[in-house]
Order: sequence, then structure tokens, then C-alpha cells
Amino acid sequence: MTREQGPYFSQAASLESLSRFRDYIDQTGRQLGVDPGVLADLRLVVDEAVTNVVQHGYQGRPGPVEVRMKRLGDDVVVCIRDQARPFDPGQVPAPQLDKALADRPYGGMGLYLIRTMTDEAEFRPAPGGGNELRLIRRSAFAGTG
Amino acid sequence: MTTFSIMVEQAQARVPVTVLRLQGDIDAGTQPILQDRAAEMIAMGTTHMVLDMSEVGYMGSAGFRAIHAINNLLDREQSDAFERSKYLKLLNPNSEVEKVIRTLGFDAFLDIHHDRDQALESF
Repeated sequence: MTREQGPYFSQAASLESLSRFRDYIDQTGRQLGVDPGVLADLRLVVDEAVTNVVQHGYQGRPGPVEVRMKRLGDDVVVCIRDQARPFDPGQVPAPQLDKALADRPYGGMGLYLIRTMTDEAEFRPAPGGGNELRLIRRSAFAGTG
Repeated sequence: MTTFSIMVEQAQARVPVTVLRLQGDIDAGTQPILQDRAAEMIAMGTTHMVLDMSEVGYMGSAGFRAIHAINNLLDREQSDAFERSKYLKLLNPNSEVEKVIRTLGFDAFLDIHHDRDQALESF
């Protein structure tokens, strides 16, 4: 497994950093020419992923979060790295969307949105420790959808 | 840092309605502001609420967690039937927020209005 190369946007993990990651995705996506609807989905997905790292990975402890977005052919690839404890997405219960709100447990929506709004979402241990989430959205450019 | 604020308005339709005008972005950092303010209004007697989202640019799942909690506070009967909320309505979400509402299935329970008067008269 090779570590993803290229410049990453890095911030200390905190809820205050979420808007900076969204801004990074907006700016980079516009520079790359990503379709605006796709870009809105990716902004949401990255916000959800970084929120999970802050709240469940680091659990309030300090640590870095790094995000990189790049074009690969007609696709957009986003990588999110952290140095938090190992994350097993299989341990996160799926949201019970078929239940009435009063009966529905809280939680699980972030991971559901990550999976729904991307074509691939691969969680894997990062070389050297931590986690890496690799997201792919296919046909992400105007005229390729 | 995400900016988010709430303006509270009281309106009179067939029932008194509290309108929370949400301004800014709702993420995991700002979600408690919404949830706490709504809970405070419900504790003070609000029974019917409109969340005016005209000025919300972004809302992630944290915002839906808050809406879920607000709905459960307002729905004192804890309806277990698959019925639409009689107590909470959404007004003017942008197309991106509305897409997430539908993706998470909240549109099955919460009416989405694009006219303030219609939202108020819907109670």
C-alpha cells in the first residue's frame, strides 16, 4: 500500500476547523472545475468525515487532520488522513431510516451520507499509524455525468 | 470558525407558532446552539415551531440530529405511527439542504414549505 502523495490541507482537529475544511473543498473544487452539485455533495461528505475524526477518532484530544482533493481523469479523489485510534466503520450501526423519528436512534447519519454521496469510500489504516479515508466520486465534471 | 445565529419570532396562526430564523451554517460545532435554543423555547411553552432556513447556507447531519431532537421534544405523544409532524415544519431550505433532507428520509416526517404564511397556516 502506498501512501497518497501530494499536498494536503492540514488543520488541528477541532469542530472550529470544520468550516476551514469546507472552504478548502469549495476552493479546490472550483479550481478543478468540479460540477457544482457534485461539489456540494463533497463538501458535505468531507464535513461529515472530519466531524467523525474529531468526535469519535480523537474524542476531543488534539491531533492533525489532513485532506487532499484531486482530479483523476473524470473522477475526483478525496483523501482524509488522521492519527487517531483505528476506525472500524463496521462498528457503526446504520441509521434506521425506515423508522418514525420518535423511534429512530440518533446517529449513524454521517457515515450513511459519506457512503451515499460517493461512488467509493474506503477506510483503511494509514501507513505509519492512524486512518485514511479514500473517497471517489466518478464523472465529477460538467459534461462527464 | 462557523458563524451561526438564531432570531426568534412569535407568530399567531390557528395556534401560536415560534419561528426560529436560522442564519449561517449548521455543523457539529454550531448544532448545539440550535438544539439548546429550541429546547429553551419549548421549555418556555412553545408547542408549534417553524425552522426558517432561508439564510442557512450549509447543514450537515449534525443539524438533522438537532431537528430530530427538537421534533421529539415537541411530539409529546411520541407518535410511533408513520405520520408527519403536527408540531414542526421547515421553511425554505436551499436545494442542497433539501437534498440531504430527502436523502435522510426526513421529508417523510417533516413538511417543507416555501411560503411563510403557508407554513404558519399548516398547523
